[in-house]
Parts: sequence; C-alpha cells; structure tokens
Amino acid sequence: MFIINCPYCGERDQTEFSSGGEAHIVRPKQPTELSDDEWAEFLFMRKNIKGIQFERWNHSHGCRKWFNVVRDTSNDKIHAVYKMGEKPPINK
Amino acid sequence: MLNFETTVQDSKSYGDLTLSEMEPILKINLRSNKREFSTKIGKLLSIIPPIEANTSSSNEDYSILWLSPDEWLIYSSNKISYEKQNLLEENLFKNISNINQGSVTNVTDHWVMINLKGSKIYDLLSKSSPYDFKNFKMKKGSVAQTLLNHTDVILHNLDDNNLNLFVRRSFSEDLWLWINDSARFL
Repeated sequence: MFIINCPYCGERDQTEFSSGGEAHIVRPKQPTELSDDEWAEFLFMRKNIKGIQFERWNHSHGCRKWFNVVRDTSNDKIHAVYKMGEKPPINK
Repeated sequence: MLNFETTVQDSKSYGDLTLSEMEPILKINLRSNKREFSTKIGKLLSIIPPIEANTSSSNEDYSILWLSPDEWLIYSSNKISYEKQNLLEENLFKNISNINQGSVTNVTDHWVMINLKGSKIYDLLSKSSPYDFKNFKMKKGSVAQTLLNHTDVILHNLDDNNLNLFVRRSFSEDLWLWINDSARFL
C-alpha cells in the first residue's frame, strides 16, 4: 500500500488507482511494414525492472485521468508524478 | 428512457445520525475544455464551474461539483419536478451541446443522492474508505471522489457534519444496507 499524488486531485491511497503498465512506449508509425517479431515486441514485451520504472497510472476511482509515475519497484517509493504528454522530470 | 425508480426511498436515524435519500433531485453531467464554457454556464445558472480541484460552487438553487479538469456535476439544492428538470436540461443542451461547447448529459437516474447528517458521519465513512477526511471536513463545499465499501462515491461537504453522498443507482441498495449496518455500531 502506498500513497500516490494525483496531479489533478492530490494525495490519495493506491486503492483508488489502477496501473496501466510501462509508459513512453511509442506506437510504430507504419505498423504494416513491421515484421511479426517487431510488432510483437511493441505489443507485448514490457520491461520488468527491479528499480526505477516509468509507469502509466489511472485515477480510476477519482478524476479518471491518466498520468505518469516514476516508481522504484523495489520499495514502492514514488520519485515523480507528471501529466500525460509532459517530459519525465527524471532522466529515463 | 430514464428510470427514476430508486432502490432506497428511505430515511433512517441512529442517535444523532440521520440518513435519507433525497429525490427528485436534478443531476447533470457537464464536460468541456472550451474557454467560453464557464461564461455560458455562468449566464445560464448564475454560477461558474469551479476550476480548483476538489471544490464546488453553489447558489440557492444549484451546486456545481468539480469532478476532473474538464468534468463537472450540477445538482439541484432542492427537490425539483421532472418537468422543470427537463426544461433546464433542454436549455443547457441548446446553449452548450448544440453549438459544440461541451457535452450535457442528464444523469438524474444514474446517481442516487443520500444525505448524511450527524456528529459521527466521518467515523462512519472512515470505516471503509481509504480517503483522508481531515481537510475535507474542515472546508465547506469540498468535494471528494473516492471509494466507500468498494463502491465509487462522490461526497459533497455542505456544512459541519452534513454532507451529500452520490452513489451509482445499481450500487445504491448495497451501499445503503452497508451504511445502515455500520451506523448501528457507531
């Protein structure tokens, strides 16, 4: 259990949020030109780091907005929270 | 077709704690990110939708609750007939939706409004909500969207120890039973 500082509503309990997986994955511009392996890489393959991870979260039981979180997966410490479309405040 | 048959239609009291469903109350959901939207609403209802998070603005007839940066909930402060509700909805629809200034959705049948009064309402809510009510109860007019007994609710602080709780219609009976059950043990 941890507290997430929603960029719109403020500090709320983790149970109000749902995780949306890894952030900053860019959709390929020409999907039809990709091989099956490259497409699968984009679609399914996600990092599973022990340490600092960039994630998308949704405040599903609050304002229902998406935003990004920089979280240390080893101790659940949140290093930064920033809105969608903004640059990460910590170097990726 | 709107279904106004609510599942609660009841009022209960436990010590100084009173719980009652308020209806018929008009509830309208607004969504917009246009600049002129606020002034339009101001002209139509004489209240400006709040920009600050977790707040509301009210006048004698209506309250507008902040739900997200581009979403608000209007509800009537008093009971209001369905004919009047339709007139207001049509008026908003004509002046906002029809000219692409935002969306107006009548959610009267979607939300059930329960009024909670009494010195122990925050003890009751804290039994099964992850929300920290410290700041909420200090500030009149504050709004919180959170979970109560695993159910999504919107809370609007009207006054000291007096708040309105909005719950989705399909969850209202379950939450009403839980609130009553919990209130007995305060």
